[in-house]
Amino acid sequence: MQAIAKPVSVFDVYDRAKSGPEMAEADWDFGVIPTVAKKLKEKYKIKMDPKVMIPEDKTLIDTLFQAGVDMLVECGVYCIDTNRVIKYTRDEVLTAIKNAPRHFTFGEDQEAINVVERPYNSPLPPVIQGGPTGSPCSEKYFLAIHQSYAQEPICDTIVNGVLQTVLGKDPVPESPWEIMAVRSELLQVREAMSRAGRAGMGL
Amino acid sequence: MRPSDSHEVSQLNELKIDVGALIVGGYYALSGQCVMVEQMPIFGGYSGGLEETAIVDVATTLNTFVMMQGTWHLDGPVHVRWGITTAREALAVAGHAGRAVEENTHILSGNQYYTLAGPCTVMCLLETAAQSITDTASGREVLSGVASAKGVLTDMFTAMEARFMGEVAHGVAGMDLHQVNIMLDKLVSLYEGKYKTAPEGKPFDECYDPVTLIPTEEYVGVYNEAIKIMTDLGLNYWK
Repeated sequence: MQAIAKPVSVFDVYDRAKSGPEMAEADWDFGVIPTVAKKLKEKYKIKMDPKVMIPEDKTLIDTLFQAGVDMLVECGVYCIDTNRVIKYTRDEVLTAIKNAPRHFTFGEDQEAINVVERPYNSPLPPVIQGGPTGSPCSEKYFLAIHQSYAQEPICDTIVNGVLQTVLGKDPVPESPWEIMAVRSELLQVREAMSRAGRAGMGL
Repeated sequence: MRPSDSHEVSQLNELKIDVGALIVGGYYALSGQCVMVEQMPIFGGYSGGLEETAIVDVATTLNTFVMMQGTWHLDGPVHVRWGITTAREALAVAGHAGRAVEENTHILSGNQYYTLAGPCTVMCLLETAAQSITDTASGREVLSGVASAKGVLTDMFTAMEARFMGEVAHGVAGMDLHQVNIMLDKLVSLYEGKYKTAPEGKPFDECYDPVTLIPTEEYVGVYNEAIKIMTDLGLNYWK
């Protein structure tokens, strides 16, 4: 890995999305992605046993990672609005990995959790984020549903569901009702956390 | 939202993005938010088979930190036929990609849960357990779920599934990986032949008293059935 002038920012990414190589989306989906993935599978001789869900072979683990780095560098990322490819150099990718956060705080006060790296064999359990994970909730039970997660001691944080209606209206995307629904979800999840005595829970 | 909440933005399948997401990402970057970037690679989709999807999953995970300067990545390999994250192939992709990233970086990552069976069924809890074991023993930092019954039906999920996800994770953390893989293979075999007849389960208000927020006796009984199966498979959390 060599030094680069500056790490990639999301603003650089936007500029590259406006100036990168042009390509039809179908060529990306049905050409670039399957072709490069297959090529890298063969290059690194990656073979997974479906009876072994988590790899135990260090060579397989490391070659899979190298193939993933190669995949990102060789392909880049396709922007569906500009029909252009956003390209990164290998050193930009490796620098971003080096700069990735090593920890963060999820939630506040007594409910704050410091999320830290945990190795595969760590006795430290992962953070448990309980909730409907974006599934549709009725207005009638939205608050109760989320309070039932917040009252579970093993749930460290909440991942919310989405309101199927707000004031009986369909929160159609790109409409004012969508804004009302999102705002209502946030207020009700906070209320659910407070009712469970865990106002500081992360969301 | 608070700065300590995770602010979400999603990539698209596979290795794609839209300008709207970059605008959201630009706001998050400038306002110093905790940024969670989500993506669910599809096994059997554009990438192809097991190995190809795992390669794309690693690339997608890394892209979170290049493109969006993310705080953490939320994964979710999903099976193209069943639309779930708990199928054997989806678990294998998650387990391999998660372990590869864990071994080679300090990146923080999570995984999200979509089961085929619905709440108040043993199958739903066993699917949840299989993914919880996979994620915990491959080095994930966050488990996020559960969207039961594929997460598409109104009120078809409860906190009992999240409790099971958590208890299994606490039970398996630190176990020997080879023993974990043996347990996982047996566990997945218990439900993977039942996809076409998976029980729909019951909605929230039939699983809980919606006023007292206490789960029904029926669901507690189902939960205890699942505990017995997991204990017999070698998980000691409830002993």
